[in-house]
Amino acid sequence: MNRKKLQMGCAAALAVYLLSAVLFYWIAGEQLHFRVEETAAVTPAQPIGELVQGMEVRQPFTAQCDEVTGVMLRLSTYGRTNTCRLIVSLLDGEGSVLAQQILAGEDIEDGALQKVFFAQPVRVDRGKWYAVVLASPDGTPGNAVTVWQGNTISAARTEIPVEIPAGQELLIDGAPQWGMLHVTVQTRSHMQFGAFYWYWAAGGGALLACYCGYLLYAVGKGKDVLILRVISAFRRYGYLMRQLIARDFKTKYKRSVLGILWSFLNPLLTMAVQYVVFSTIFRSDIPNFPLYLLTGIVCFNFFSEASSMALQSIVGNASLITKVYVPKYIYPVSRVLSSTVNLLLSLIPLLAVMLLTDTPVRPAILLLPFGLVCLVVFSIGVGFILSTAMVFFRDTQFLWGVVSMLWMYLTPIIYPESIIPAQFMTLYKCNPLYHIIRFIRIVLMDGISPEPKAYGLCMIASVVPFLIGAVIFKKNQDKFVLNL
Amino acid sequence: MIKVENVSVCYRMSFDRVKSIKEYLVQKLQGKIGYEEFWALKDVSFQVRRGEVLGIVGHNGAGKSTLLKVISGILKPTGGSVQVKGTVVPMLELGSGFDFDLTGRENVFLNGAILGYSEQFLKEKYQEIVDFSELGQFIDVPLRNYSSGMVMRLAFSIAAMVDPDVLIVDEILAVGDAQFQEKSKKRMLELMSGGATVLFVSHSIDQIREMCDRVLWLEHGEMKRIGRTEEVCCAYEHNR
Repeated sequence: MNRKKLQMGCAAALAVYLLSAVLFYWIAGEQLHFRVEETAAVTPAQPIGELVQGMEVRQPFTAQCDEVTGVMLRLSTYGRTNTCRLIVSLLDGEGSVLAQQILAGEDIEDGALQKVFFAQPVRVDRGKWYAVVLASPDGTPGNAVTVWQGNTISAARTEIPVEIPAGQELLIDGAPQWGMLHVTVQTRSHMQFGAFYWYWAAGGGALLACYCGYLLYAVGKGKDVLILRVISAFRRYGYLMRQLIARDFKTKYKRSVLGILWSFLNPLLTMAVQYVVFSTIFRSDIPNFPLYLLTGIVCFNFFSEASSMALQSIVGNASLITKVYVPKYIYPVSRVLSSTVNLLLSLIPLLAVMLLTDTPVRPAILLLPFGLVCLVVFSIGVGFILSTAMVFFRDTQFLWGVVSMLWMYLTPIIYPESIIPAQFMTLYKCNPLYHIIRFIRIVLMDGISPEPKAYGLCMIASVVPFLIGAVIFKKNQDKFVLNL
Repeated sequence: MIKVENVSVCYRMSFDRVKSIKEYLVQKLQGKIGYEEFWALKDVSFQVRRGEVLGIVGHNGAGKSTLLKVISGILKPTGGSVQVKGTVVPMLELGSGFDFDLTGRENVFLNGAILGYSEQFLKEKYQEIVDFSELGQFIDVPLRNYSSGMVMRLAFSIAAMVDPDVLIVDEILAVGDAQFQEKSKKRMLELMSGGATVLFVSHSIDQIREMCDRVLWLEHGEMKRIGRTEEVCCAYEHNR
C-alpha cells in the first residue's frame, strides 16, 4: 500500500469520525445528559374510594434522582365521565408545592395509565423526602375519580409482598393506609458522560490521529501493522468475497417463483402468525406489539440463519478447501455477510410496519446501523466457533438446532422483558442478543438514543464473542484439512 | 523462488475417524483412541529457481500430491517450512467451486475469483475463456444442463487463462473430445514452457523427459534423488 493512499484513508477516517461525533451529539440529544428512570410501582389491588372535595391523598417517597419530570398513575372513573378536576402536586419535605398539574375529568380514561408531566422538570435533592399529593377541588360523590393502592409487586407470574418502609405508607387525610399508592415517579439524573461529551470526543479524535500518525510512520519504515494487513487482505480477497456472497444470494431463491420477495414475506408472515397467537391466546400488554415482535423476529432470524449457514461453511466447502488455497475465514464470513443482505432487505417490511403502526420516524433511526453492525459482528463470532466445532464434531449441526431454539426462547422476542423474574435478570444480561435487540428496539420504537451504557454493552456483546471465535478459528484452522 | 526446507507431513490415522462426541467419549473411556502415525513426507528439502521446470516422479503414495498441497498452501506441514514468492496457481483439480445452479458466465467469475484472479483480469480475459471453451451460446445456460464434457471444457478454459509466477501441475490434463484434448494439451504445454516456474507431477516418464530441467524422485515420503533429468529418469526406470 502506498503512502499517499494511506494519507487519504487517514484523512477520511478522521473526517468521518468528526462528522459522526457531531451527528451523534445531535441525535442523542437529551439521552446524553440524563438518565431517565421511573420508580417501581406496586400492583394496584384496591381503589381508595371516591376522591372528593377536601380529601388529600399523599404518597411520600425519598428521591433517588436529580430531577422529577412527572408521575404516572392508574386512574379509574367508575365507568362514567366526570367533570371534576384532579390536581397532582409534588411537595417537598416542608410541605411547600414544587410543581403542580391539573387534569380535567373529561380527559381521564377509565383504568388507563395516565402520564402527568410537570411544566418544568423539578430539581430535587438525593435522599430527601418528597411527596406526590392528589386532590380534587370540585369532586363530589357521584362525580369523582379514584386511584389505587396495593402492597405487592409483580414478578413474572407471582406477586411478591413488599415491606413498606416506615413513613412510606399511603396517607389519606394524614391517616396511614395498609398499602402504597400505585404511582411511578418519572425521574431523570445528570450524567457525567454528557457533561464531558466534547472532551471524550476530542480524546477519541486525538487517539485516532495519533494512530494514523503511527501508521504513516510504520509504513514509512516498512513495518508490519495488523490493520494494514487486514486492509490489504480485504483488497485482495474482496472480489472473491463479493462473488461468494452473490453466489449464495443468487442460488438461494434461484428456482422459486416469488424469488427475492421471500426476503420480505418471510419475516412478515412469521410476525403475522406470532402476532395472532400471542395477542389472542396469551394476552400481552406490550405497546406497539407488532413492531416489538417484528424487530425481534428480524434480528433473531438473521442470527439463526447466519449461524446455521456459517456452521456448514467449512464442511460444505470441503472440496474447495482441499483443492485451492483461500484464507479459510472467507467461508464463514461470506456466509454471514450474505445473510446480512437478507437482513437489510427485511428492514423494508420493518419500516413498512413502523409506518403502518404510526410509529414516528425520528433522527434516532440513524443509530440503527450501529445496532446492526454489532449484530453482524456477533454473528460472525458465533459462526467462527460453530464452523470450527462442526469440523471436529458433526453432532454440532443437530445440537445447534436445539440450542438456537432454546436461545430464541431465552431472548425477549415474543414476550416482554417485564415477565423475566428479577432473580434471573443477571443471567439474561449475559445474553449478547438481549443487549443488541434491546438497543435496536429503543432506537426504532421509542425513537430516542439509548443511554450511553447501552452502546458500551452492545460493543462488548459483539466484540468479545467475535474475538473468542476468531482465536478458536485461528488456532484450529490448520487442522481442518486433515479432518474434512 | 520456491524454497522447501526440511518439510515433513504426518497424518494421524485412526482406523475409523471419530466424528461425534458420543463416539469420542465411548472410545476414550475404552481406551481405544490410538492413532497410527503415517509420515507422508519426511524431511524434504530443495529449491527451485525462477523459470525452472521441476518434475516430480514416484510411485503411488510416494507423497507427490501431498508435496504439491504443501507448496500451494492448502496443507500446513507438520515440520519444516515452505517459502514461495509470487502467485501460485494450482491445477490440481478442475472446476472446484462450480455452482451448478449458476450459468456458465457466472461460474467463470466465481471460479476465477476462487483461483485468485482479479476482477479486472477476469473481465479482460472473459471473451478469451469463452472462445477457448467453445461453449458459444451455452455460456448463459445453468451448469446443471451441461454435459460433463462441457463442464470440464469450461473448467479447463478458466484454469488455463492464468499468468502465474508458479504453476503447479498434477498430470497434464486432457479433457473433452479428441480435438479438445489435443487443444488442451497444447495449451498446457504452452503454459509450462511460458517462463513460469513449474512443478510438474506425472507418471509419464516421456513427458517428464521432454519438459523438465530437473527431476525430484520421491519414495515413501523421502527424497530418493534429485538432479538432472536424464540421470534421475534413468535411475527411476531401472528401479522399476
